Amino acid sequence: MTISYSPGWTASIREVVIGATAAEGGTRRISYRIGGESDLPCIGSGRKPLIAFEICDDPALWPDVIRSACTKLVDNPPAWAAYVDTTLQADLIRLNLTSTRRRNFDAYDAVSKTVIAVLQATSLPLIIEGSADADIDSEVFQRCGEAGEKEKLVLGTAEAARYRSVAAAAIAYGHSVIAQSPIDVNLAKQLNILLREAGVPDDRILIDPYTGALGYGFEYTYSTMERIRFAALKGDGDLAMPMICAPSDTLTIKEVRAAVHSHETAVSWEVATAVAAALAGATILVVRHPGSLAPLRTAIDSLWKEEVA
Amino acid sequence: MALKALDIYKLLPKKNCKECGDPTCLTFAMKLAQGKVEPDLCPYLDEEAKNILGASTRPPIQKVTVGMGTLSFTVGEEFVFYRHEKTFYHQPGIMYSVSDTESDDRIREVVSQVRGCRLTRIGIDLVLNGLAVYAESRSPERFAAAITVVTQDNPDLPLVLMASDPAVMEAGLAICGNYLPLIRGVNDQNCEAFCTLAKKYGAPLVVSGNDPEQLAANASRCTGLGITQLMLDLSGTEGEFIRASTLVRQAALARSVPGLGYPVFLDVRSSGFSGLITGITKFASVIVTRPLTRTEMQAALVMRQNIYTDPQKPIQMTPGLYRVGSPGRDDPVFLTVNFSLTYFTLQGYLESTRRSCWLLIVDTEGMSVLTAVAAGKLSESVVKDAIEKSGLASEVNHKTIIIPGYASPLSGRIEEYTGWKVIVGPRDAAEIASFIEEELK
Ligand code: B12
Ligand code: SF4
Repeated sequence: MTISYSPGWTASIREVVIGATAAEGGTRRISYRIGGESDLPCIGSGRKPLIAFEICDDPALWPDVIRSACTKLVDNPPAWAAYVDTTLQADLIRLNLTSTRRRNFDAYDAVSKTVIAVLQATSLPLIIEGSADADIDSEVFQRCGEAGEKEKLVLGTAEAARYRSVAAAAIAYGHSVIAQSPIDVNLAKQLNILLREAGVPDDRILIDPYTGALGYGFEYTYSTMERIRFAALKGDGDLAMPMICAPSDTLTIKEVRAAVHSHETAVSWEVATAVAAALAGATILVVRHPGSLAPLRTAIDSLWKEEVA
Repeated sequence: MALKALDIYKLLPKKNCKECGDPTCLTFAMKLAQGKVEPDLCPYLDEEAKNILGASTRPPIQKVTVGMGTLSFTVGEEFVFYRHEKTFYHQPGIMYSVSDTESDDRIREVVSQVRGCRLTRIGIDLVLNGLAVYAESRSPERFAAAITVVTQDNPDLPLVLMASDPAVMEAGLAICGNYLPLIRGVNDQNCEAFCTLAKKYGAPLVVSGNDPEQLAANASRCTGLGITQLMLDLSGTEGEFIRASTLVRQAALARSVPGLGYPVFLDVRSSGFSGLITGITKFASVIVTRPLTRTEMQAALVMRQNIYTDPQKPIQMTPGLYRVGSPGRDDPVFLTVNFSLTYFTLQGYLESTRRSCWLLIVDTEGMSVLTAVAAGKLSESVVKDAIEKSGLASEVNHKTIIIPGYASPLSGRIEEYTGWKVIVGPRDAAEIASFIEEELK
């Protein structure tokens, strides 16, 4: 008798390409084809999740623990990006344009400059988090999209209430879009449909199921991610997009902020959340603490190692 | 697959004689269907019914208890593969490992780490569950001595004994066997000897095998020798563990392989912290880990709490008027929601201000402030209701309530509808101390 695992899945996760090499018309040294899994995480022949390291262009809004872990870098996004690329060896960089969160923001030229400078400082593919305010979205996303034309960026974040600007920039310049909904399978599905209707091709959408921090809603995120993955594997094409998850959200919670050993705490909580998110189906894991990279890399390599027959 | 109550009822004698402790055969059948009672309680079952019921009312994963007394813990008895299908019931026991070659002082230190670890979140104590002692010395005397170091002061601390030589294991069991430690170390050669030991002490046994087939066969061999308190050893790298535990869980729930219907044991001494997180999320029931750093331990315990919280039922407080310190008639009234996490977070910050105050908890069906505002569960009528039901007006001399910053859109409506003056507090409870200082003089 052989005992085998028979999941009964009928479909697979859609593939999305991030980044463009010279051969693909961009300037990145590598591009990634993510998604494509036809089973649960770690089971079968699915790809390893990628680790994205998140930096920002205005550290005032960044957690203290990260500002102190990256002191000399936080005021210099290109240098920070280069460090993430060569020293930390992340797979991707997520540039969060926190400067746009300031009241009466109108430094649009600076946005273009920052994106271009970061693209020059690293040859890794880039995720760009633009503004979070409908009044400036259009201009900000237009600038980001334009600055990264041909680089196949990932632009975020589209939400049900404000997705048109980011979608328009992605369509115009060939980028992908992060679609975020508040921890709910049906809302995730609806938003994907809205994006499609707005003209974003299905293979240029990533689902962000919204990461409740460990201890503050992660239990909901975990279940929602599993459910999205199952729905996709059972054939729901509206949910068959790869997922991006931000364990970095965990850095803002009370336990981490109040910690005596704040760096150790940040790393433990970020890594724990990232490993569980990967097991629930995340394809891109976003972290912020430099100390999280190595342990997370080791864990993922070990989880996804092909079994020796 | 589990039988429905009506199918079970058809198999019962229908005497309604009450000897099972239930008023009727039908109510007994209903309890059987939920796995709440054992079929043996009915003395009149025929053989065939016993067989069918025995196999189908038993939970798909056997219940196993490790240890004795208040610190003992139970695992197994799980019914679902995906947490959201229902919930996971029995969280894994996390055991710190020590080797018997370590010094007595070091062993005592690890014991005190285990016993001293207590993290209270949402009003619930999160604890480590015990100690795993590994017979690295291969010496019966040393193994027994190491265990004695533990049991001298902590006889009731649940233990895992890890040794593959039956003589060494027996030396350990002679010290602590009556406290039902979990025994690990069975292999092809020593199976009979270990079963004899497990039987003698009534202790649960971890079985292993190179592949699922062999594992199932070994488990069946042990049950054949009369052992029912079994666990399956799926230790390996994180990836190997996931693949094996997925397969075992699926087979167990389908009841397709009798030898796999047991809780899972996982040793993560070599894979470390990420191995532990992997075990917590994917079906391990007892996890042996090297002692963790404090921050890793906390993250792991919170992860375990999250994974084992029913997503359909947020942990809730009973709505009503609560006191922080010993508030008088002039002290301030803070309003919050009945999501336990919100309450305990806020209460922690309020207590640290040392200012006595009232806390009015309104019923938002267990939703956090922001979620409740977004879902319309926190409204002026809910607040009015809470003020009236709690008798707040008769406890204080003023008519002012302080609402959470995130509820600010409701402030005007609450004032109009309740007649109470509303002050909007900070969004983040961490700022409540400075708020009290500045705004409440
Ligand atoms: C977990 C979660 C859920 C869980 C529910 C958890 C629960 N039991 O409430 C689930 C998945 C079910 C959920 C559902 C929804 N959610 Co939700 N959810 C969250 C999440 C991730 C965390 C909430 C949480 O637990 N916070 C922790 C607790 C402790 O926070 P809190 O109660 O606010 O308390 C703090 C402060 O308010 C303050 N405080 C508390 N009381 C008091 C009192 C006083 C006097 C003072 C001064 C301060 C104070 O202190 C606390 C600590 O700082 C948040 C995002 C986030 N990071 O906040 C989104 C979030 C709240 N959800 C959101 C939404 C939209 C929803 C839905 C409406 C989505 C939908 N359409 O279905 C639903 C609504 C529920 C429904 N209809 O069934 C939005 C709200 C948007 C907005 N700004 O209005 C958020 C912000 C996510 C987002 N960015 O989109 N959600
Ligand atoms: S003991 Fe058996 S026969 Fe009597 S009521 Fe219970 S189930 Fe029915």
